[in-house]
Amino acid sequence: MSRAEVDLQNSVKKACNNDEVPPKRKHVRACIVYTWDHKNSRAFWNAVKIQPLQSDEVQLFKALIMIHKVLQEGHPNTLKDAYRNRDFLSSLSSVFPSHGTAYGRLINQYDRFILQKLDFHRNNPGFNGIFEYEEYISLRAVNDPNEGFESIFQLMDLQDSINDLQKLIFATINQTPNNLCKVSALVPLISESYGIYKFCTSMLRAMYQQLGDDEALKMLFERFDSQHFVLRDFYTDCHAIKFLTSLITIPRLSNNPPNLQVTDEGTPIS
Amino acid sequence: MSKSFVRSIKNVANGYSSAQKIVRKATSNDPSGPTTYDMEEIASYTYQSQTDFLEVMDMLDRRLNDKGKNWRHVAKSLTVLDYLVRYGSEKCVLWSKDNLYIVKTLREFIHFDEMNNDQGAIIRVKAKELVSLLQDDERLNMERSAAQRSQGNHS
Repeated sequence: MSRAEVDLQNSVKKACNNDEVPPKRKHVRACIVYTWDHKNSRAFWNAVKIQPLQSDEVQLFKALIMIHKVLQEGHPNTLKDAYRNRDFLSSLSSVFPSHGTAYGRLINQYDRFILQKLDFHRNNPGFNGIFEYEEYISLRAVNDPNEGFESIFQLMDLQDSINDLQKLIFATINQTPNNLCKVSALVPLISESYGIYKFCTSMLRAMYQQLGDDEALKMLFERFDSQHFVLRDFYTDCHAIKFLTSLITIPRLSNNPPNLQVTDEGTPIS
Repeated sequence: MSKSFVRSIKNVANGYSSAQKIVRKATSNDPSGPTTYDMEEIASYTYQSQTDFLEVMDMLDRRLNDKGKNWRHVAKSLTVLDYLVRYGSEKCVLWSKDNLYIVKTLREFIHFDEMNNDQGAIIRVKAKELVSLLQDDERLNMERSAAQRSQGNHS
C-alpha cells in the first residue's frame, strides 16, 4: 500500500471515530483532496469498509456524514465508484434497529437518502455531487420536455427526502453538549437543498418558456411553491444555531416563492 | 531564538530556491504580513521560467494544505494566491482553476486556538471570496486588466 493510501486510511479512521462530536473537517477534507489528486475513490471506499462501523452508532453516523461530504465535494468519479458499492452502503441502514435509539433512526433514514442520491446521479450524470448552479451545463438546454419532467420529478423527490431528514434531525436534537454531532449533519443538507432549489427554479422557468401554460407544469409549480415554504422554514431554524451560522453561509429565502413565469434575468415571458 | 532566524536556517538546510524562500517568508506564522512588496516579488517570479513558477505554486500548495495549528500559513497563502490570480501570470489562473478543489474545500476550515477562538473564520471568508472570483470569468478578466493598468501607472 502506498504512503498516500496509508494516510487516507488514517484520515478515514479519525473522521469516524466514536467520539460524539462532528467529524473533523481536516480529516474529511483529506479524503476529498485524495479523490481529486488520484481522480478516483477506490482506496477511500476500501478504507471505509475496513472500519468497525457495526460496533458503534455514533461511529456509523459520522461515517455517513463523511461519505455524504465526499460524494458532494469529491472528484466526479467518486459518484460512480459509490454506485459500485451500493450493496455495501445499503447494508448499513439495517445495522442498528431503526425504531430504537435516535441514532438508529437517523442512520436508517440518512442511509436511505444517500442511496436515493446515488440513484439520482446514476440516472442524471449531468449533475455534480453538490448541484452547483455555476457548473451545471446540460439540463438548461433540455429540448425534450419529457426528459425534463423526469429529472425534475426526481429532483423534487430528493428535496422531499432532505426535508424529512432535516426534520428528523431537528426532532432528535436536545439540549446536550453532544448535539453538535447531529447538527453537523445539517451542513451538507443545507448546501444540497439549496443547489436543488436553484436548479428547480431555473429549470421550471426554462420549461415555462418552452411550454407556456401547461396542465402538467402547473402541478410542478404548486409542488415547487410548497417546497419553497418548507425550505424557508428549514433555513430559518438553521439560522438559530450558532455553530452553523459561523461555519457556512445559510441562504435566506424570501417570504413568497419566486415568480416562475419570468426568465432568470427577470424579464417577463410574453 | 527568533522564528525568522529558525526559518533562515531551514531555508539553507532544505536547500530552498530564492522563489521558495520568498513564498515561505510571505506565508510564515508571523502575525503581520504578507507585505505588498513580498507579493509583488512573488508575482514577478511567476512571469519567469517555468521552474520558478512551479516552485512558487508548489510551495503555496504545501502551505494551503497545512494543519490547523498553522492556520496563518493557510490564511496568508490564500492572500498570496488571490494576489497572484489578479497580478501574476496567466498560468497562475490556470493553476488555480485546475486546483480549485484545494481552495473550495477550505471554505469549511475550522481551527480553535488555545483561547477557544475560531481562527478558521478568516480562512473561510477568504476561500469563499477566491472561489467566487475564479468561477466568474468575466469579473476575473476585468480585475486582471484593471490590475495591469494600475501597475502601468506605477512604473
